[in-house]
Amino acid sequence: MRKAKGNSAGNRLLMLLVGLFLYAPIFILIIFSFNAGTSSTVWKGFSLHWYTELLNDRLIMHSVYITLLVSLLATIIATIGGTFAAIGFYGMRRKARNSLTAVNNIPMMNADIVTGVSLCLLFVVFFNGWGAFAGWVNSWQSMIVLPERLTMGFGTLLIAHVCFNIPYVILSVSPKLRQMDRNLVDAAQDLGCTWMQAFWKVIIPEIKPGIISGALTAFTMSVDDFIISYFTAGTSASTLAMTIYGMTKKRVSPEINAISTLLFTTVLVLLVIINVREAHMEKQRQSRPLAAVPAAPVRKPSRITPVLKRVGAAVLAVALLGTLVVTGVAARRDRVVNVCSWGEYIDEELITQFEEETGIRVNYQTAESNEALYSLIALGGADFDVIVPSDYMIGRLISEGLLAELNYDNIPNYALIDDQYKNLSFDPENKYSVPYTWGTVGIIYNTAMVDEPIDSWSVMFDEKYADEVLMINNSRDALMAALCYLGYDINTTEEAQLQEAFELVRTAKANGVYQGFVMDEIYQKMEGGNAAISMYYAGDYLTMLENNEDLAFVVPKEGSNWFVDAMCVLETSQHKEEAEAWINFIASTEANLANMDYIWYASPNTEALEGYPAYYEELYEEELDPEIYEIMAAPPEVLDRCEMYLNLPQETLKFYDKLWTQLGI
Amino acid sequence: MKNKLSRFAVPYVVWMAIFVVAPIVIMVIYAFSNGEGGFTWDNFAQMGAYGSVFLRSFKLALIATAICLLVGYPVSYLLSREGASFQRIAMVLIMLPMWMNFLLRTYSWMTILENNGLLNQLFQKLGIIALYNNITGSEIEYFSMIGTQGAVVLGMVYNYLPFMILPIYSVIVKLDGSLLEAARDLGADSVTVFRKVILPLSLPGVLSGITMVFVPSVSTFAISRMLGGGTELLLGDLIERQFLGGAYNPQLGAAISLVMMAVVVICMLVMNRFGEGEEQAVML
Repeated sequence: MRKAKGNSAGNRLLMLLVGLFLYAPIFILIIFSFNAGTSSTVWKGFSLHWYTELLNDRLIMHSVYITLLVSLLATIIATIGGTFAAIGFYGMRRKARNSLTAVNNIPMMNADIVTGVSLCLLFVVFFNGWGAFAGWVNSWQSMIVLPERLTMGFGTLLIAHVCFNIPYVILSVSPKLRQMDRNLVDAAQDLGCTWMQAFWKVIIPEIKPGIISGALTAFTMSVDDFIISYFTAGTSASTLAMTIYGMTKKRVSPEINAISTLLFTTVLVLLVIINVREAHMEKQRQSRPLAAVPAAPVRKPSRITPVLKRVGAAVLAVALLGTLVVTGVAARRDRVVNVCSWGEYIDEELITQFEEETGIRVNYQTAESNEALYSLIALGGADFDVIVPSDYMIGRLISEGLLAELNYDNIPNYALIDDQYKNLSFDPENKYSVPYTWGTVGIIYNTAMVDEPIDSWSVMFDEKYADEVLMINNSRDALMAALCYLGYDINTTEEAQLQEAFELVRTAKANGVYQGFVMDEIYQKMEGGNAAISMYYAGDYLTMLENNEDLAFVVPKEGSNWFVDAMCVLETSQHKEEAEAWINFIASTEANLANMDYIWYASPNTEALEGYPAYYEELYEEELDPEIYEIMAAPPEVLDRCEMYLNLPQETLKFYDKLWTQLGI
Repeated sequence: MKNKLSRFAVPYVVWMAIFVVAPIVIMVIYAFSNGEGGFTWDNFAQMGAYGSVFLRSFKLALIATAICLLVGYPVSYLLSREGASFQRIAMVLIMLPMWMNFLLRTYSWMTILENNGLLNQLFQKLGIIALYNNITGSEIEYFSMIGTQGAVVLGMVYNYLPFMILPIYSVIVKLDGSLLEAARDLGADSVTVFRKVILPLSLPGVLSGITMVFVPSVSTFAISRMLGGGTELLLGDLIERQFLGGAYNPQLGAAISLVMMAVVVICMLVMNRFGEGEEQAVML
């Protein structure tokens, strides 16, 4: 196709448009990385603020590090492994080669999600089996103590990346092998090369371009991957993509724009350098076509090579298998506590403060909802020590034996918690939990977009507000709104009532009432005036109010849910002592005050709750609006119409899950 | 010599058995078991209820693939007629966005398509929204784009268009120029040359392009979650929800994955039958 006629202006225009389509979003990302304001749609002037913020953001920087590390390691391993595999395939009979190539193609042909899910299941099954095996080994000898619990993490992430990278390397090395003249190797051996030398001096140089392009593809795939990482990284190793995905569910910080810009420029510079060098070398080659190539000295054949080769193959095989185990055993030397909470649910200064005071490193992660947290724990992918589930979920976790009993001797600050929040129905003897916050669920609406006073759940199902309503994206809360509206008990186990509530939500959805089903995305949407009505938690409303004064909150007249979120320790936790230290620290009055001021959720610590108005006055030198205080800490007359969730029986939970899955259909 | 070389593949064959074959076997076992580990058909029996999700996913993925093909083919063809340095730069430019994670790019579209987003701001400034209200007599303040199926398709096209362009381009650019000359010498006009020579010869590239766009589109969950607002589930969302989302049921998730995998594989086999087993175009 060397018919370089060039194209007409119209055709060039088409290409330009496609180029623009591909690059416009990237340029927008870049432009807004220099924005002085926090919005990614409103320009407030030039600033480098987000770049400095970025460098101080541990979470993002760590995920960049993980991304690069896993991509590099996976590329190296996959390139070596894939090259050997391709050579091996090349040496096989046609039939064997074809069937192995077909298996090799599976990860490439399969959707990423299938690869991710199946690897995830493999790891889960392996870890379960390993747990039983290690328990058995530990029970009859005490020389070596095997860790009984492995979790997904960097090791499994690396394995997954190697898995989907190798086929690409094979795909680009194989054609080079086929193009290679088979007589070359024979010729080399005839001329006195050993078999090994022929391999290194003839085969490898011949297929080098294939190896390089395979490595490049592998690296690209690794950096670009999200789905497979998402299912195999567990909770302790988060790649940049996973961090971004987590952030898009909440408030996205323009730091993300800054990191995009940095990545983009780095790659651009690298590519320009490579291309300029290549063009330069091509020119040189053309000007000196017959430059003498220095002859490589040929080493003497050695007898050790065949042995080495066999040992090498064995070592490689063992190494491949051993990776799984080794990564699970990953040293847990330093004192760490893995905390999983909700988005925007802590004053992050507290984390630093705790680390400085105790020397325990805090790994702080967030889950999306109680149900998602449950999935993580049940699947065995979670590496958490402390979690902060809500009341009903605590009940469920206790009944399934997933929580550890706390040693309250290590948590003296538990005494500061108001008796009102102790021994509640979900944990009647209070053996497992220390309350973190409490609050109510209600309707948040934008007074500038709604022209009537709102006090009923009916607006959540009203066609009048089509496409203006954000429904909460978890089954329990969404159906609670419908149950309240219908006048049923929010803890009902009657399937007919649940079905009726579900139909209400489904009809509203079918009529286009909902703009979306959201959890923490709600911040961005409500603050930006992108939706008029939503249901969410009182404390989060107050956070939004700081950024948009038009928002209002109401606990509907039909009643609602009041909840207690409490800190618990997982049965599988390896850091129980550190976990209790963390819980004690957070339960202190000072931490509760700081938290209340930051997240606007009411504290169960009596001293902190009562002392907050004074604390606020001292800090901001103005009086705390009593209305705000009432929304944060709902007065008895509001709480009277609210009810707490109870843990539902297994069949009802299954029914919830079924309804919830059907809602998406 | 050749047989000696085959030993190099042994570690990888072991690796494949553990990390390619075993996971799929485990997935199949999960798909046929209930929570307690017994055998059941239940997970598949429930599948009928999710028919509409399957239909929607395939519909959106097909539309996205068709658009990618309609845009990607002309671009690849036109590219191959440009000068060498132009081609080199264009290839780099097409590859470049892939080095930024696709979630970053999708996130950017969120800010563009939002109700108060950049595109709506632009429409407002240009008076397009006022004009639309004048013509239709409506009173909208913005076009709602985010949370629609259109936005999801846009996200798919945007993210996977390079996967369509690259294989087609790499096939077309390698076409033997003398074939085209021969066709012209034999009296074919440029339309005929394209239809009878270039198009059939570029088919392998088209097929692998279709595969590379369709498969990720049909199984995505991040794009539909970010641009679709979570109101219209796709297959990917449905699966994700059973494993790490709000409705824990890995057995059902495994069953859905299995069915999706089977449908995709059948589609690919049928399509490749049309391609008569032509070798897949090699990317890059």
